[in-house]
Amino acid sequence: MRFVDEFRDAELGGALAREILSTVEPGRHYKIMEVCGGHTHSIYKYGVDDLLPANVELVHGPGCPVCVIPMGRVDDGIAIAHEPEVIFTCFGDMMRVPGSRGTLLEAKAQGADIRMVYSPLDAMRIAKSEPDRQVVFFAIGFETTAPSTALTLKRAKAEGLTNFSCICNHVTIVPPLRALLDSPDLRLDAFVGPGHVSTVVGARPFEFIPADYGKPIVVSGFEPVDILQSVVMILRQLTEGRCEVENQYKRVVPYEGNVRALEVMAEVFALRPHFEWRGLGFISQSGLRLSDAYADFDAEQRWPVPGVRVADPKACQCGEVLKGVIKPWECKVFGTACTPERPIGTCMVSSEGACAAYYNYGRFAREREVV
Amino acid sequence: MSDPELACTDEHCITCGDVAVEVRVIAADGARELATGHDESGEATEIDTMLVGPVAAGDRLLVHAGTAIARIGEERAP
Repeated sequence: MRFVDEFRDAELGGALAREILSTVEPGRHYKIMEVCGGHTHSIYKYGVDDLLPANVELVHGPGCPVCVIPMGRVDDGIAIAHEPEVIFTCFGDMMRVPGSRGTLLEAKAQGADIRMVYSPLDAMRIAKSEPDRQVVFFAIGFETTAPSTALTLKRAKAEGLTNFSCICNHVTIVPPLRALLDSPDLRLDAFVGPGHVSTVVGARPFEFIPADYGKPIVVSGFEPVDILQSVVMILRQLTEGRCEVENQYKRVVPYEGNVRALEVMAEVFALRPHFEWRGLGFISQSGLRLSDAYADFDAEQRWPVPGVRVADPKACQCGEVLKGVIKPWECKVFGTACTPERPIGTCMVSSEGACAAYYNYGRFAREREVV
Repeated sequence: MSDPELACTDEHCITCGDVAVEVRVIAADGARELATGHDESGEATEIDTMLVGPVAAGDRLLVHAGTAIARIGEERAP
């Protein structure tokens, strides 16, 4: 993989680290949020933060779709999974996300037919091979994943499948960013923008961040050299007094996004008036439901669901972590009551979750900070 | 399709974390807008190609949750 190797090149990384050092202004502290959980994972896996000077701080944002799913939606999924005719399908990490009465994995142990899939298309194939069962796909994810669900539903509709449906938990990236920026306890200088969401939506939707909030954003790739180059671009903007949307990830992100993906999403989905985010509460127009044209594929209309809002566990500080107010290890239960093996909060479930990434890769960094 | 008995034990869950992988197309089914390709580990995978238009063997695609979301350009590292 010629190009991947290039973007993991240690010499290039070192050169960018030196450029960062020469760009920062002494005495100035820079707080930069990486929106996407994929970035958080790369930063810890490759030790990107070890290459940054102490006054450049990376803060982990709300960009892991598993992390932001509220407990009530997990409960709704488990209720449908227990319907006798249902084969319930979901992505792997979703299996371990705690609802108020356990996880999907525990529901599976109790007898529910729950299967992990790698794509919505996998779920549709199960429906075709099991015509006497009802196959439900638990759809989660930002605009990166939503087109995949939308295309699968288009195929299901075209093929006249009647035993396939979705419980739709897709979310959109701009409303939570706006909610974060409106949060009074947030102190950020700039954003590393989500690379793969942007392959779909483009970089244009982020123009409100410099325009309305006066903060730079650089859409970034996920390899360590990508992230370091994005930090350089952000620091240049800040030191030169510029404030704009820049695209570091041009090799896959067109500024206008993927028009076909946006069209198919507009056909299959409609905005919910509001949607609940773990730790962030209800955010207007931040979630997607199936459009009226696809109502026949809406699992929530086929089976009754509790639809109950469940408060986050008191000890869990996922909300503050997701807003970048505290570091994962500053949470009261981090690494003690809450671990990747037995997570309390969603941030500890997915490997892209800020807490799990920190737990798996960042403990040495934490010890350095403590010292 | 994955083993239904397994939970996700990958180091990095490609479907959940906004993570996409590079796949090189080895065969295309233009009529159904599907293709087969090899990912970084060499594993064969079926891809929905509706979002990127017609593909041919050798094309490099960025794939997320079984769907090609972009073609990979030729930009080099800085």
